[in-house]
Amino acid sequence: MCFYIILEKKQVMKMIRYEVKKVFSKTGGKIALLMLTGMLILVCFLTVKSVEYVDEQGVSRSGIAAARRLREDKNKWAGEITEDVLIEVLQKNREINASKEYQSTDYRENDKAYARKQGFSDIRDMINHAFTAFREYDYYRVDSVTDEEVGSFYERRIAGLNDWLYSEEAKDIYSEEEKEFLLTKYQELKTPFYYEYADGWKAFSEYAPTLIMLTVLILGFPVSGIFANEIQLKADAIFFSAKLGRNKAVLSKIGAGILMITGIYWVMVLLYSAVVFAILGTGGAGCAIQTGLGGWKSFYHITYLQEYLLIIFGGYLGSLFMLTLAMFLSASTRSAILAVTVPFVLLFIPSFLNDISALSKVLGLLPDQLLQMGQAAAFFNLYHPGGKVTGALPIIMTLYPILFAAMLPVLYHVYRKTQIQ
Amino acid sequence: MKIELDHLTKNFGEFTAVDHISLAMNNGVYGLLGVNGAGKTTLMRMLCTLLRPTEGTIYCNGRDIWEMDSEYRSLLGYLPQEFGFYPEFSVQDYLLYIAALKGIRPVVAKKRVKELLVKVGLAKAAAHKMKKLSGGMKRRAGIAQAMLNDPQILILDEPTAGLDPNERIRFRNLISELAEERLVLLSTHIVSDVEYIANEIWMMQEGRIVHQGTAKKIIDSMPEAVWECMVEKRMVSVFAKKYKISNMKTDQDGAILRIISQGKPCEQAKRAEATLEDVFLYYFGEKAGDENDTI
Repeated sequence: MCFYIILEKKQVMKMIRYEVKKVFSKTGGKIALLMLTGMLILVCFLTVKSVEYVDEQGVSRSGIAAARRLREDKNKWAGEITEDVLIEVLQKNREINASKEYQSTDYRENDKAYARKQGFSDIRDMINHAFTAFREYDYYRVDSVTDEEVGSFYERRIAGLNDWLYSEEAKDIYSEEEKEFLLTKYQELKTPFYYEYADGWKAFSEYAPTLIMLTVLILGFPVSGIFANEIQLKADAIFFSAKLGRNKAVLSKIGAGILMITGIYWVMVLLYSAVVFAILGTGGAGCAIQTGLGGWKSFYHITYLQEYLLIIFGGYLGSLFMLTLAMFLSASTRSAILAVTVPFVLLFIPSFLNDISALSKVLGLLPDQLLQMGQAAAFFNLYHPGGKVTGALPIIMTLYPILFAAMLPVLYHVYRKTQIQ
Repeated sequence: MKIELDHLTKNFGEFTAVDHISLAMNNGVYGLLGVNGAGKTTLMRMLCTLLRPTEGTIYCNGRDIWEMDSEYRSLLGYLPQEFGFYPEFSVQDYLLYIAALKGIRPVVAKKRVKELLVKVGLAKAAAHKMKKLSGGMKRRAGIAQAMLNDPQILILDEPTAGLDPNERIRFRNLISELAEERLVLLSTHIVSDVEYIANEIWMMQEGRIVHQGTAKKIIDSMPEAVWECMVEKRMVSVFAKKYKISNMKTDQDGAILRIISQGKPCEQAKRAEATLEDVFLYYFGEKAGDENDTI
């Protein structure tokens, strides 16, 4: 019995290998791999380039050495952001603002002044956020914040939200229960924030969606062919008349699809992570995402490391769902061309509908959100599953694994019932 | 091995491709003859479980083949009319993949592929890509894949179509060799192929089997006689209007016509021995020989 099971597994594995070989022996498959490699290199380059260090001469630099120097500068401010730290930032900021470099009309001189500010630039950004209206951002607001008022830094974050929730703009968007939920989330966030250099995580979070989305779009081409090509090559008659053609061979096609999605996705994401963190560093993993510009408003209590995990696992789940849907369409319509449009439609249609506020709740639950979990964590989409208010992330992280799992037997059933006329 | 067709019917909308066929087959070679659109391919596809019948069913040794599912398909070898393959695969990889689809253990598959490559004369081309093979070599690869599981039921749909005369003869001989101790159903519109190989011939027309039996029995069933006569070239059209002409050969002196007619068509006509081709023409008339044969 045991021998039989091993033998069966071996056969399925062998068929999966041939399925993968079918895809990548074709020119289209090879082009897809080349495009993925090129895209990985490009996104790594852009990510690393996005973290800049301005030296004493006001010259911007990027790369390993630049990231190291930026880390050294920022980590001088590492620790809890207490009132004393905030006052020190204000004083240091005022001191630099009074310098001749800052006052100069020559931008190169201004850059020299900025070089002295970049160590506390993240804390400066947080002060700007806290002391401007919730939906605004004033880069120079910090210059007018007084030592006396900066002590209300954390309270201002909550008050800013409260003011906005009850403003003309937002008062009808959220129910009282939802407003209460958001305010409670803000109040529950542990303060004072712990701060340290976390630019590696921030850069990853900013560029990872681009990498993940392009991976899904490119992978859509080879994956869509797994089921449809059998029919297009007219190899279906032999396939379905073979002993395993309507059972294990179909399973092996599904297995090959999932293997390709899984293998390529994780190679891309892990190589990208390795390059980004090797160059930009992994410091700040334990900092709350609210210590960065992108996460300041988020009501999710997560650290950069947790956000990273959310991005990569959410991306994997989104890739699995979208590409399995493409496989399903390929199996049911027998058209790879139609199937390949699935990721494009799922990724681009929501961006066209973004401006329609009435759709924001629906859009917040679409699978494209899984490919951009960093951004999704900053959105204020609220839902009431089981009468309890919650954000979109727990819902999509529960909904899509279920939909993915439900799609597999349907895909199997649809393809194995194929009739050849 | 016994295959029984029980009121087998397949409709495509209003069109009936296979119309209540009830037949039985045992080991041996069966030749399915019919014009294009007669329903040969549809019948074969149902026998290969590629199409579900609208009515009726097929039994294999008394069991419904749809209920037998993969057990039935394990007995089956099929070479479709349009033999699709994976162009980038080598011949060996292609056969190993099909062996895996047929549930053959990898160790056995390797041995079997090697044997069959020799048998079909492709041993030297084992490493060649499928897309680089000539038409005849592709067909041989096709028959090799059908034979991988040493099938008890071998279904060959137009296996010699598109082959040059030499390849056709080689292929015919190969089929005869493989036909021992199994049930072979061979569909073709090349009458001579069936005449040479088949033990029993089924003539199919508009979804029905209209005649069946040995070549001799079918030839004898033709109620009219075959005549040969030489006529002036200008008279050919006159004879063509009046009789069924199964062959015409022209030379400087005139045209030698092969005429199917109950009575003597002209004074100088001599009786000739009827062939299966004459019978085919007699029953299927002008439609015989059309190229489009997918239904």
